[in-house]
Amino acid sequence: MSIVTISNLRKVYGPVAAVDGLSLEVPAASVYGLLGPNGAGKTTTFKCMLGLARPTSGEILYDGKPLVPATLERIAYVPERSVLYEWMTVEEHLEMNRRAFRAFRPARALELLASFNVDKRRRARVLSKGMKTAVMVALAFAQEAEILVLDEPTGGLDPINQRHVLTLMINEAAKGNTVIFSSHQIGQVERAAEQIAVMDHGRLVLQGLVDDLKGDRKIVEGIFPDVTFSLDGIANDSRVARIDRTERIVRLLVTSGADEIASRLGSAGATGIRVLDLNLEDIFMYAVAPQDATTDIVTKESSS
Amino acid sequence: MNYVEWLRVRNCLRIVAIILAILVVLAVILRISLARQLSPEGWVAQMTTDPRTKVTHSVLADGTKRTVVDDVPERTRVVIDDRGAAGKHIVITEPSSHSHNESYSHVGNILSSRTYGGVKTTVIDTNGSVPLLYYMAFADIMGLIVATILAAPFAREIDGHLEISLTKPCPRERFALGTMAVDAVGILVSSLLTIVALYLCQLLFETWRLDFSGENARGIVMGAALPVAWYALLCAGTTWLCRGYGAVLGFAWPVAIVIAALTQLEPSNTVALVVRDAAWVLSRLDPLTYVKLGGMSSATNDTYGGMGFGLRLSIEVLLLVVYGALAVWQWRRVEA
Repeated sequence: MSIVTISNLRKVYGPVAAVDGLSLEVPAASVYGLLGPNGAGKTTTFKCMLGLARPTSGEILYDGKPLVPATLERIAYVPERSVLYEWMTVEEHLEMNRRAFRAFRPARALELLASFNVDKRRRARVLSKGMKTAVMVALAFAQEAEILVLDEPTGGLDPINQRHVLTLMINEAAKGNTVIFSSHQIGQVERAAEQIAVMDHGRLVLQGLVDDLKGDRKIVEGIFPDVTFSLDGIANDSRVARIDRTERIVRLLVTSGADEIASRLGSAGATGIRVLDLNLEDIFMYAVAPQDATTDIVTKESSS
Repeated sequence: MNYVEWLRVRNCLRIVAIILAILVVLAVILRISLARQLSPEGWVAQMTTDPRTKVTHSVLADGTKRTVVDDVPERTRVVIDDRGAAGKHIVITEPSSHSHNESYSHVGNILSSRTYGGVKTTVIDTNGSVPLLYYMAFADIMGLIVATILAAPFAREIDGHLEISLTKPCPRERFALGTMAVDAVGILVSSLLTIVALYLCQLLFETWRLDFSGENARGIVMGAALPVAWYALLCAGTTWLCRGYGAVLGFAWPVAIVIAALTQLEPSNTVALVVRDAAWVLSRLDPLTYVKLGGMSSATNDTYGGMGFGLRLSIEVLLLVVYGALAVWQWRRVEA
């Protein structure tokens, strides 16, 4: 069952469509990762979800109902950048949230701050970037919200605290809450998210369960002795979804029969052949297709 | 919901309280320094240093303590009737070559002087009450300063905190009205603190009585409305011009003063006439234009500048409501 439904969301800033016809369904009690390169429209999507920006068109529903101020009692938000009041202490931020949200638990917030080693008596202006992120994360997770919208929730945190945040997210989903988050750290998304959506230029380019997206797909990689080489019939094989050529290196995305194709690649003269499992980073890269000037990409089918 | 604004107000009031506390401390120091000069006992002591001066003390039937100082060689006589909390009545008789009469009151003291037949009689009564208008004028200055400091609540939220203020489970209108109400309370409290501080200073030097009646009462009402209306004007300005809210706050006073000055321009030529008329129109939008703390009558036929107290107050309140509504309207449209 979807707790958040986004239908044909479009948000235009002047001549630029930051989000263009986005449709998503976020299942309840899950961790949902939103991926995309810079400027893909992830933050704008979050802002529209929270009423911070008015959609140009489209609809966002929570349990089938549009956002009203009371809905925000159920939503916790960690923005991409620090929005803390620099002149206020951490403790005052806690008090601010305690007064704003009925379910906010100051004791839980203090516990989380202690786990991030943040002194509650300090003013926000003297905190490091990572500590500010930690404060915002603590405020959000102490809110006991049903839906957590986290925009780059690990920005500036050290690897230990990044892992801590991921654990918190997974725990929230285990408790029946829903976490929607974005991150440029694809490894984190892979670790935490059950489902992902990939956005590019405001559009949804890929969506689904992480395991389903990986499927039986493999990457077959080989190195040719010369820049001029022929892939013979490999390129025409229907199991080869995509071919990336960078000088002497070739990478094939194959939907099945990876070993056989690797063998044919060897017959074609390639050396150093490797068959790799597809990871989320590969899925992301193939979805948003970053066109490197030195890379020749042949896409034969949609990655989705 | 408006905790952050409350903290801003608290910080501002803390500074106001420190400034006023310094003022009171300075007054205490001044009072101690001038103790001898200010007390009739001091004068008496000074006069009695001359052995030819005769001093007599007595208690009248109504409990008044009377001190009479006779300086026969100087032909000067001072009679001091000390009526305790009701103040002192002092009559000084001394020779004078000038012949003139004068009478004036200063804060709680009423002083009159009359010269007849080469003798000058000065009467000082220290039992008068202090018109609260005097304090309201100072309180308004403080209130206007505080209003100017607090007048960009929404612009400050827009400047990097919308993700906090707009994700609270509260309608935007309620948040905005709550914020402005907190600021208005802060402004009025700053005015009240100023009156209290000035009253403490008064207690050091003058009578304890205050006059709340008549035009004082009207002055209090107008004095309370003015800084809040000024706040509403700046609040609307900073919300609509949120990117340059610092400039709005910084230039508000100079612009108001220049406009007020231009309305006084002598229309010597067409350009001056146009400028003056334009300034006059603009000045109608300024809450400061309608303020007159003293000399206001409740009757519309006894007016200053063609407007009675009721009309002036109504315009102040109308401006407050209109500017407040403009600020709320713009706040509703804000996007992160």
